[in-house]
Amino acid sequence: MPNAVAVKVLLVDDQNSVRQMARITLEEIGFRQIQEAANGVEAMHTASLQPIDLIISDYNMPEMDGLALLRAVRCHPVVRKVPFILLTGRGDRELVVKAAEAGVNNYLVKPFTAAILREKIEQVMGKLS
Amino acid sequence: MATGLDQLKITFFDECDEAMQQIEAGLTDIRAGQSSDDTINSVFRAVHSVKGGAGIFGFESLVGFAHVLETVLDGLRAGKLVATDDNVGVLLQASDVLSDLVSMSRSNKPIEAGYGGECRIALEGIIKQEGGGASEVDGDNSPAADFDGLDFKPVRIDFDEPAADLKKSYSITFRPKPALLKKANEPLYILRELRKLGELDLVAQTDLLAPLAELEPDHPYIWWMGTLRTEATRAQIDEVFEFVASDSDLEISEIVPEAPSPAAAADMGDIPFVPVMSDLPISSPSIVPDLLAEKPAAASGDAPARAVPAKHAATTTRIELERIDRVVNMVGELVISQAMLGQIVQDLPEGTAGRLAQILEEVIHHTRELKDSVMSMRAQPVGSVFQRMPRLVRELAMKTHKKVRLEMVGETTEVDRSIIERLGDPLTHIIRNSVDHGVESPADRIAAGKSEEGVIRLSAEHRGGRIIIEIKDDGAGINSERVLRKAREKGLVRPDAVLSEDEIANLVMLPGFSTAETISDISGRGVGMDVVRSNIQDIGGRISLKSVPGKGMTIQLALPLTLAVMDGMVIKVGDQTYVMPLSSIVECLRPARSEISNLIGTRGMLHLRGEFVPLVLLSELLDVSTEAKDTGERVVIITDAGEGTHFGLIVDELCGHQQVVIKSIEESYGTVPGIAAATILGNGRVAFILDVEKLSDIAVTSALDGAVPAATRNASTMVTMN
Repeated sequence: MPNAVAVKVLLVDDQNSVRQMARITLEEIGFRQIQEAANGVEAMHTASLQPIDLIISDYNMPEMDGLALLRAVRCHPVVRKVPFILLTGRGDRELVVKAAEAGVNNYLVKPFTAAILREKIEQVMGKLS
Repeated sequence: MATGLDQLKITFFDECDEAMQQIEAGLTDIRAGQSSDDTINSVFRAVHSVKGGAGIFGFESLVGFAHVLETVLDGLRAGKLVATDDNVGVLLQASDVLSDLVSMSRSNKPIEAGYGGECRIALEGIIKQEGGGASEVDGDNSPAADFDGLDFKPVRIDFDEPAADLKKSYSITFRPKPALLKKANEPLYILRELRKLGELDLVAQTDLLAPLAELEPDHPYIWWMGTLRTEATRAQIDEVFEFVASDSDLEISEIVPEAPSPAAAADMGDIPFVPVMSDLPISSPSIVPDLLAEKPAAASGDAPARAVPAKHAATTTRIELERIDRVVNMVGELVISQAMLGQIVQDLPEGTAGRLAQILEEVIHHTRELKDSVMSMRAQPVGSVFQRMPRLVRELAMKTHKKVRLEMVGETTEVDRSIIERLGDPLTHIIRNSVDHGVESPADRIAAGKSEEGVIRLSAEHRGGRIIIEIKDDGAGINSERVLRKAREKGLVRPDAVLSEDEIANLVMLPGFSTAETISDISGRGVGMDVVRSNIQDIGGRISLKSVPGKGMTIQLALPLTLAVMDGMVIKVGDQTYVMPLSSIVECLRPARSEISNLIGTRGMLHLRGEFVPLVLLSELLDVSTEAKDTGERVVIITDAGEGTHFGLIVDELCGHQQVVIKSIEESYGTVPGIAAATILGNGRVAFILDVEKLSDIAVTSALDGAVPAATRNASTMVTMN
């Protein structure tokens, strides 16, 4: 049973406001170790510098979008097994199909509540304690 | 939490502003035919960001509209729709509506249900152009956590399950010795063999390579380092090197994933542990192309390089304005303390200051630098104001059935926030005027031999410690005959006055002047150029206007870079001390008696290099008693009252140039004509900062009426109070 406090989350979104909202939601669930990155390139950089246990990334970002990040993660020897949850808009159905092919662990439609986020994470990592 | 959320909303709206600018700029490029795929992508992304954030913060009307706009952009992006002029027109309108919705949401105004409905219908019309037709814009309001009917199963990571692949990673270092080549072994064959085992990722190391002249042909200078991912056993790898192992330095070691962080290990029962290598000198090469181009990984074997850290990472930080203002205030206080210190040093007996004066000099230098850096923190590019203008021009052009193109130059020019905030209205007004009255209708323009499309050029640049903003149009210019006639009718000019072309042009900025013969919907709502002028003057700026009939008009705004600290000249009149902004002083001189001609109705005219400059006694203007009555012995400050007119202020004494901190007196005393603000001098006394342009107005009216305005008298009473 993973302990939320111990899980190192990498939160990727180019919008500061959205990132902060997500951070607050994550903290509500009990996560304490939250790293942030503003796009895929930054995320890869951050992930290569320290252990990361879970990546939650938006899709729509400049430089390198969420799907490209997912693909980069999946073929990177260091982080390729890190669970990856993709944040999508309400209309991004096709994106989820592509992400599934690329090996995404779960997706989450924005906006979301703490309960939904928790459920999505637990579907991937098992019950959180 | 509430305040935290409010703060986030502020951040979100700031991001919206950025996004709107991106949308605006992108669409403008698309309309001008200068777009690439990236342009459409960036517009799409910006709209998407607005929508995403709006959803999170619960601005439903914003989400709804952004969604339709996004759908159209997505169609364009995918090539299903074409960016025809009509379509781009609708998109531009839509960006305006979106921007309205953003600002309504920001100010918490209730948004009417059907706001932007027409535009929405137009957008939906575009969506219908799409080949297939039935693209859904519907059912977007259900906050569902999942997509119905989508066959997606979350991928549970089960830690106990043996790793899906049995591949192991080995790090390999292979340094051939000279003997290897001498025995006719070829390293390349070995490497080729190695590659057959799995994913080989080697980099040739050329650091030992000798200069060409010293190169020995049979010496193996090159060595290799890298990784091999393979299902092969260690023995199989060793086999490859079997014949050369003794003739080379060979290191082969398995890369064992580092254990996850101990903190996690303690509790994370079934959490998937992430293999984390301690270092990654040579990572999978496929990530490199991926980082550079947003493409699916292409497995190219060469050019492995470390992931380049994002250039844009964390180069800015958002700071509350309040905090910066606090620093600005402290710097202001520092400037005052430093002035006091200066005063003390100056008052020391000659020769005793020595080193102290030297150090003070340094302190002054540092304070100035400190002030400049703090000011630069408050500085913002004028682009944030300029950005609103394209839309304005577009809307006005549509309403007036004119063709107008707006060119913007120097949007990155920086100026203090406080000025930016007060620049919007005057600029909007001037541009309105330009489109409404300046630029002619297409038919008139063609008749006048101009191109159908009028051009308004909006530019900004730093010049001599000020920022110069210019609004230039190629329209009809000012009809000086009509302006003069009107000014005479309204009694703004004496019937017999002879005015130059420029002076006539500047008449339009007098209070109570409006030339629009019909009050149009756009400009001429009773707010004229006089308000623009007073707005600009309020922030210490100057406005001047040049018009060439038939060719166009240029309005120039000269603004100070900051409102908090300025360079001033300390002057004395009677027993009072004042500060005059250095920016309004042209020169100071002590004229000889013979250079002053007495003209009836004036305090005298100074003959200065072939020009007559009217003189004004500052003591009289401010109603301060002074003993020195002889104008000939006193100092004359030639000031620039704006619009290129000069006049000379007679003062008793100049006390020197000083940086002063501007303290507003408006809160306590209201607006006092002739007095811009107050400051604290080095000796701790309060001094007023003069508003030279107002003084010139007062001088003109008092010369006409022969009376000193009462308000100014109050100002000197206040000085006495202090």
